[in-house]
Parts: sequence; C-alpha cells; structure tokens
Amino acid sequence: MIKVENVHKQFGGKQVLCGVNFEVSEGESVAIIGGSGTGKSVLLKTMVGLIKLDSGSVKIDEVDIRKCSSLDLRATQKKIGYVFQEAALFDSLNVFENVAFGLKMLTSLTTNEIRQRTLQCLSMVGLENIENLKPSELSGGMKKRVGLARAIAYKPRYIFCDEPTTGLDPIMSNVIGNLIVNLKNCWGITSIVVTHDMKYVYKVANKVLMLCNGNIAFSGTPSEMDNTKNEYMKQFVERSKCGPIVKEKVEYNEQST
Amino acid sequence: MFQLLEASKNAATMTVETMKGIFGGEISFKDTVAQMVEIGWRSVPIIILSSFFTGMVLVIQAGSATENLFNEPVYVGTITSFSLVMELAPVLTAIVIAGRVGAAITAELGAMKVTEQIDALYTLGANPIKFLAVPRFLACFCMLPILTVISNIIGVYSGMIAATNMWDISPATYWAEALDFMTIKTFLHGFIKSFFFALNIVIIACYQGFNTKGGAEGVGKATTSSVMFSMIAILIMDCFLTTLLIFFGIK
Repeated sequence: MIKVENVHKQFGGKQVLCGVNFEVSEGESVAIIGGSGTGKSVLLKTMVGLIKLDSGSVKIDEVDIRKCSSLDLRATQKKIGYVFQEAALFDSLNVFENVAFGLKMLTSLTTNEIRQRTLQCLSMVGLENIENLKPSELSGGMKKRVGLARAIAYKPRYIFCDEPTTGLDPIMSNVIGNLIVNLKNCWGITSIVVTHDMKYVYKVANKVLMLCNGNIAFSGTPSEMDNTKNEYMKQFVERSKCGPIVKEKVEYNEQST
Repeated sequence: MFQLLEASKNAATMTVETMKGIFGGEISFKDTVAQMVEIGWRSVPIIILSSFFTGMVLVIQAGSATENLFNEPVYVGTITSFSLVMELAPVLTAIVIAGRVGAAITAELGAMKVTEQIDALYTLGANPIKFLAVPRFLACFCMLPILTVISNIIGVYSGMIAATNMWDISPATYWAEALDFMTIKTFLHGFIKSFFFALNIVIIACYQGFNTKGGAEGVGKATTSSVMFSMIAILIMDCFLTTLLIFFGIK
C-alpha cells in the first residue's frame, strides 16, 4: 500500500503541492490527471524519492521513504518501477543493456535468466530484434516502450508511469494500455500513472485522482468521474473552455505578465 | 557569497560520498579503466603537443634573456627544466585536462541529468555518485600525474631541440644543465601538485554535471562554469601549494 500524507512542495516560492493526501491499495490502477503544470510529475517523483518533500510523508508498504535507512530504501526501490516521461534511457548502453540494467542491480538472476527476462519484456512491449540498437537509433515511441520494459523487467510491485502513452500512435497506445492491465492481472503490479490520455484512463484505471491547485480536487472511479458534479473534473472530462481551470490559468497568466 | 558557500558544502558532501564509495570498495574496475583510457590515454597527444612547444618557447625565452644579460645563453637547460618540472608542466597539463576532460565530464553528466538518466539510475538501485563519480574520480587522480610526467619529459626534450638549433648549445651541455641541479624533491614539487589539481578538476566537473539545470542551455552553462572554475582554482591552488611545498622543503 502507498500512503501519501499532507505532502507539500514548492519551487522558488511557487507552491506546487500543498497538502496532498491519498492512498493506493494493492492491485489498484490509479490515474493521476490534471492540467499541464499542475504538479502531476512532481507528485510522482516525490512518491519515489526523486524529489525531496518540503513536508508530509510518503509511505510505501509502511516504509517512509523520507526517513528510512539506506537499507530500507534499497529494499523499497526493488518494489518500484518508474517510467520516465522522456524514457531516460542510458545513451551509452544499447537496448538490451538498458533493460537488463535493473535486473543486474536489483536481482540475483543468472546471466542466462537476465537474457531471457530482458527479451521477454522487450517482446511484451512489442519490440523484438532491436536489442543491439542504441537509444539514439530509436524513435520516441520505441524509447518509451524500452523504458517501460526496463521498469517492469525486475517485476516490481508498483509501477509509476509519467505519461506512458504520450507520443505513441493509437495502436501502440492501446498495446501499452493492455500491457498495464495484464501486468496487474498476471503479476499483480499496482500502477500509478500520470496521463492526459482519457482513453487510457477509461481503459486501465480503477481510480482517478485529479490534481488541481496543488491538491487532489477529485478522487473516484472512472464512472464516478463521468457523473461527478465537481466543476474541475467536469470541465476536464467535457474538455470545456469555460470553468474554474481556465479561469485560474488566465488569472495566473495575467498576474505573471 | 551564500551560493558559493552552499555550493562548496554540496561539493564537499559529494566528495565525501565519492570517498566512501572508493574506500568502501564499490569500484567498477571496467568503468574505471574505460575512464582512464578516456581521461589519460586519449589526452596524451594534446599533452605531447602542448608541452613540446612550451619546452621550445621556454628555451627560446631563456636563451634570449640570458643572452641580453650575459652576452651568451647560459643555464638554458637549468631554467627550462626547473620551470617545467616544478611549475609549467603540472599547471599547463592540469589546465589542458580541465579544458578537455573537465568539460567532457560536466557535459556528459549534465546531459544525463537533464534527460533524467541520473534519476533513472537512482530508481534502478544504482547510486549515481558511486556509479558515475567514482570511476572518473579515480581515473583523473591516477592519470593526471602520469600525464604531468609525460609533459615533463616531452617539454625538457623539446627544449633540447630548440637549444641546439637556436642557441647552438650541445645536447650534452643542455642535459648537464638540465639534470645536474635536479633532485627528487624538485620532481616531487610538481608531481605532488598534480594530484591536487586532479582532485580539483574532477570535483568541480562532477559537481557542475550533477547540478546541471535547464536543458541544453544548462549543459552549456555548466560546462563553461566547470572549465572556468577549474582553471581559476588550479591557479589559486598552485600559489598556496607552492608556498606550502617550499615551506616543507620540497623544492
């Protein structure tokens, strides 16, 4: 279980997260949605310890990642797979080495087992016979899929994805959606996904969190999301220009100019 | 001023972490050798070239100055070898390496930082300091003194070429002048400095790389800062080290 309690984070005087609270239960698929610049990626990074919190706590299986020992942190890292927005593949390594990296660092598998698991994960994301290519030789979508393969290779309990379908064609976007559903069904992986892709939300998520003004403006299932009276969520789902989200952006832009 | 203190504190923390990695035995032999090749072996041509001409220029200047004073070029070998071994070879080698290697380290780590590769290392259970800084740290610390020795040899040798051709000094006279007054302490004076310069280059380069912000522009700025700070720090450090070494009789 992941428990996010009263998380605050500010950058250069701008409060990005102000008192975020939510829980993610085992096996859930959570989608975090919200307008651009609302701090979704920051929230995801604070959850895995990539960004330090100003205050509050994030507990993964009862381990507070802010206060735990390096031993506990390492044990927690083994439970987490993270898919970066821009894939973040290691330039100096080829595709195979990128995917195998986590297996070498976090598991005690033999060379042969690492090879088999790496090829299996690449096949799961629809990539075969590209093991020897360098990241610079891949398209944006392929990089993203290699990033996903790298994150799931060591079978983490939780997978954090930062916009996994952005930049993918609709077919591949569907493949990734199915893959995350399968990961949950076959390996029991809990997923927390930041996305703007509403099709993906309906397909994969069983819990939707909407981040607005540095806080959770809505929390519920996709069907609750459709029938909500929450003005923020309503505007987001209906893709309406009028509503509290646009109003705030306009106000913010006016203030900054 | 506050920023400088903050940066110094963070750089010191990074250095302590790196030392912990080295003394904790968390050293990747393969990566360290690869960095030694990159930092050391690939820098040999530029070090040969720079020290070759430095040695020649020194001889020309020394010969010209002594000729003005004494009507003939005297002690050209002595002036050249002492200047090179104690001062110019370690400082120039460090400055060339700060430009070539320091910039490369900052640019590489900076690019990794802005493309989230360093964050990716963290999520995959690898400590970025131990994984990236330790091999570069060790490689620079081992290779800069070796490059300094190469620079000493090439500089003094090229001086001989200039001395024989420009001032008609025989090689035997040149070598006698160059080596007669040279002691192990003279050599150590420059050699010891090179270890400190290596630390200076690699700490600044890694720190700037790990703290790069703001995309491609940020990488460019970090690289420029890295080279600039390294060069200034080398010159300041040289002044203090020279004073200290002379105080302890290593001269």
